[in-house]
Amino acid sequence: MVVTSSARDYINRILQDISGMKVLILDSQTVGVVSVVYSQSELLQKEVFLVELVDSISKSSESMSHLKAIYFLRPTSENIQFLRRQLASPRFGEYHLFFSNILKDTQIHILADSDEQEVVQQVQEFYADFVAIDPYHFTFHVPSHYIYMLPAVVDPSTVQRFCDRVVDGLAAVFLALKRRPVIRYQRTSDIAKRIAQEASKLMYQEESGLFDFRRMEVSPLLLVIDRRDDPVTPLLNQWTYQAMVHELIGIEDNKVDLKSIGKFPNDQEEVVLSSEQDPFFKVNMYENFGDIGMNIKRMVDEFQQVSKSNQNIQTIEDMAKFVDNYPEYRKMHGNVTKHVTLVTEMSKIVDERKLMSVSQTEQELACNGGQGAAFEAVTNLLNNESVSDLDRLRLVMLYALRYEKDSPVQLMQLFNKLASRSAKYKPGLVQFLLKQAGVDKRMGDLFGNRDLMNIARNMARGLKGVENVYTQHQPLLFQIMESIVKGRLRDVDYPFVGNHYQQGRPQDVIIFIVGGTTYEESRSVALQNANNTGIRFILGGSSVLNSKRFLRDLEEAQRVARSSTTVV
Amino acid sequence: MATRNRTVEFRKHRDAVKSVRAPLSSSASASSTGPVIEMVSLLPSNRSSYAPLSTEDPSTSRDAFTVGLPPSWVDDSEEIATAIQRARVKISELTKAHSKALMPSFGDDKEDQRLIETLTQEITSLLRKSEVRLKRLSAASGSSEDSNVRKNVQRSLATDLQNLSMDLRRKQSAYLKRLQQQKEGYDGVDLEMNFNGSKFGSHDDEFSDVGFSEEQMTKLKKSEQFSVEREREIEQVVKSVHELAQIMKDLSVLVIDQGTIVDRIDYNIQSVSTSVEDGLEQLQKAERTQKKGGMIMCATSLVIMCFIMLVLLILKEILL
Repeated sequence: MVVTSSARDYINRILQDISGMKVLILDSQTVGVVSVVYSQSELLQKEVFLVELVDSISKSSESMSHLKAIYFLRPTSENIQFLRRQLASPRFGEYHLFFSNILKDTQIHILADSDEQEVVQQVQEFYADFVAIDPYHFTFHVPSHYIYMLPAVVDPSTVQRFCDRVVDGLAAVFLALKRRPVIRYQRTSDIAKRIAQEASKLMYQEESGLFDFRRMEVSPLLLVIDRRDDPVTPLLNQWTYQAMVHELIGIEDNKVDLKSIGKFPNDQEEVVLSSEQDPFFKVNMYENFGDIGMNIKRMVDEFQQVSKSNQNIQTIEDMAKFVDNYPEYRKMHGNVTKHVTLVTEMSKIVDERKLMSVSQTEQELACNGGQGAAFEAVTNLLNNESVSDLDRLRLVMLYALRYEKDSPVQLMQLFNKLASRSAKYKPGLVQFLLKQAGVDKRMGDLFGNRDLMNIARNMARGLKGVENVYTQHQPLLFQIMESIVKGRLRDVDYPFVGNHYQQGRPQDVIIFIVGGTTYEESRSVALQNANNTGIRFILGGSSVLNSKRFLRDLEEAQRVARSSTTVV
Repeated sequence: MATRNRTVEFRKHRDAVKSVRAPLSSSASASSTGPVIEMVSLLPSNRSSYAPLSTEDPSTSRDAFTVGLPPSWVDDSEEIATAIQRARVKISELTKAHSKALMPSFGDDKEDQRLIETLTQEITSLLRKSEVRLKRLSAASGSSEDSNVRKNVQRSLATDLQNLSMDLRRKQSAYLKRLQQQKEGYDGVDLEMNFNGSKFGSHDDEFSDVGFSEEQMTKLKKSEQFSVEREREIEQVVKSVHELAQIMKDLSVLVIDQGTIVDRIDYNIQSVSTSVEDGLEQLQKAERTQKKGGMIMCATSLVIMCFIMLVLLILKEILL
C-alpha cells in the first residue's frame, strides 16, 4: 500500500486499453497528479503524443480526427463546461472520459445531453485525486490555503470549497486503497472536526455502496489533525537533504526551480528531485547535510573514474563499450551535476544567512529549556547584521511560542527590537501566530513540558547528549505516531466520528494535517515505517510547507481577518 | 484501486435524450411548414421520420469525421513503425544465424556467413532509411499542436530506433568477441596440430625424409584461408558497428533523457504554452512595428506635403 504506485497504476490502466495515437487532456490539478508518477517518455511509449490542458485544447478548433482524446479531469463544474463545449463540436475521433473523483448524476446528464454526435466511448471514475510526491506522502494543493486558520463565519464559501477539496481527496485516497477507514480528529480544531465529519458522511452515508469493500480485516485509521497544534516544525531550518532543499530553495511537485536564486545553464534551471526516478536521491533524501556532502564526493569520484575510462578509447572494443554505456554515462553526468549544483547553492545560502548559528538557537528554543540563555541568544542574533529578516522573525516567533506565558516583559522587548530591526514584516504577525497557535489553543505537548513523563524523558535525553545539534528536533507527529503504535492515543483528545470505533490495532494509518505537511514530518513517517512496527503510516496534507509558505499563509489570514473585522 | 464505470449510465441517458430529441426535431420541422397543419401532421410525421433520422444521424456525422483524412506524416510514421518491426524480426533471425555460425561445423559454413552479411546489411539499411525518414517527419509545417504531436511521434520512434540499434550493436559485438575468441582458439588448435605434426614428422623422420605430409599441407592451407575469411568478417562487423554508432549519435539528439526535467509532463506543457505565448508576443511586436512604420511614413509625407504647399502658397503670394 504505497500511494505512488496506486496513482501510477491508475494512469497505466487509463492508457493501456486504448490503442492508437492518443491525446491526453488534463486540468491544472491533474497535471500535478500525473506528473509526479509518470514521465513524458513513458507516455510516449503508450502512444500518447500530445498532452494539453483542458482550457487550451478548446481554444483551437482544428480537426484532429486521427487522434483519440483521453480526458483525465477533476469533476468540477468548469471542467464539465469545457467538455460540454468540446463535445458539441468535437475535434478528435474518439473521446474517453476519466474523472478523478465521484461524478454527480447531473454532471453525467449534462455530458450526455451535449454528446449529440456520440463520440464519447466511455465515462469512468478513476480515483487518482492526490499528488503522490513520495511513497508515503501525498498532498492536495488546495487553493486559498490560508483559510483554515480563520473561523468559518469569515468567508463561508471559501471554507466550504477548502473542505470539499480535502474531503474529495481523502475519499479518493481511500478508494485507491480500497478501504473504508474509521475516522478520528483533533478535538480542539474546528476545521479538523468538520473535515472528519464530512468525510465520514460521504463514506458511510452518501456513497456507502462505493466504499463497501466487504473486507474482514481491521479498518485503517484516518486521523485528521491541525497544523496549528505544531506550529514549530514549519518554522525551523532544516538540515536533511529533501527538507533542506524545500526550505532554502523550494520544491514544487518534486521539481526544484533554481531560476530564483541565480543564473544557471539552460538544462539546470529546473531539476527533478524524485525518489522514484533518482536512486542517489532515494538513498540520501533523509540524510543530513554533512553526510550528503561526503556521499556526493563519493559519487563525483565514481563519476570521474567512469569518465576517465571513457577517455582512452583505443580499440574498437573500447569504442563499442563506450557507445553502449553512453546513455548511462550521460544520465550519470546529469545527475552528478544536479546534486552538486544543489548542494553548492545551499551551502552558499547557509553561509550567507549564518544559518549554522541561527539554527542552533532555533533547535535550543524548540527542544531545550533555559529561558535566560535563549533570550540572550535571540537578542544577539537580532542584533547581528548578517541574519536575514526572515530568520529574525522566525526566531522571535519560536521564542514567543515557547515562553509565551513565562516572561511577557522580555517578549515585549523582543517584539520592539524586531519591529525596529526589520520593517518588512507587518507588526502583529507574531501576536497573530500566538492567537492562532498559542499555548491555550494547542492540545499536544509540543515542547514536552506538560506532564512529568515527558519532562523526565527530556532530561534523560539532555544527559545522554545529542548526536547532532541541528537535527535534534522531533516533530509532534512523532509523538502521535508513537502513541498510535502503543495504542495510547487518547479518545478524549482524538475522538472518533460517529459510532465506528477501532477494533484492534490498525495496520494502516493515514494522518492528514489540515494546513500542510513538512518534509521533516515526511521523513519522520518514512523512518517510522522503516522500523517495521506492523503499522504503516501515510502522511497527507493540504499542501507542503516550508517556513516561507507557512508565514505567507499566516500573513494572508491576518490580512483577511483584519479586513473582515473592520467591515463588521 | 477501486474504479467505477459510469458509461452505462451515460449511454442510457444519451439514448434517452436522443429519442426525445428526434421527435422533437421532427415536430420542429413540421411546425415550420405551417401552423395550420401542425396538429394533423404531428402524429404521422412523427412515426415516419423517426426511423430514418435515428439511423442516419450518427452515420452522417461519422462520415463527416472520416472524411477529414489524417495528415500525410501519419503515413510516414506508420511506415517507420513497420520498418522498425521488420528490423526487429530480422534481428531475431540474425541472432539465430549468429549462433548457428558460431557452432563448430564440419561442412562449409560460407552459406551462413553470407546469410549473416546480407541480414546485417539489410538491417543497417532499414535503420538508416528509417532514420532519414524520421528526420523528414519534423520538416512538414502545421499548427503548433500538430507540430507538437509530430515532435512527440518522432521522439517515440527515435527511442524505439535507438533501442533497436543498441540491441543490434550489442549482439554484433558479442558475436565479434566470440568470433575472435574462436579465431584464437583455431590458431591454438592449428599450432597444436602443427606441433603434433612436427612431432609426428620428427617421429617419421627416422623412417622417411618428407618435411610436411600432403595431408598437413592441405590442412595448413585450409586454416590459412579460414583465418583470412574470418579477418574479413570481423572487418565487416566492425564497419557496421561504426555505422550504427553514427546512427546512434544522430538519434541521441531526439531521445529524451529519463529522469530529467525534459521528461516531466508538466514542464512540457508549460514550455509549450510559454513558447506559444512568446510567438504571440513576437507577432504582436511585429505588427506594432509594421503599423508604426506605416504611420510614420504617412505622417512624414503629410508634413512634407504641407511644407511644399506652404512654399507654393508663399511663392504664389510673392509672385502675384
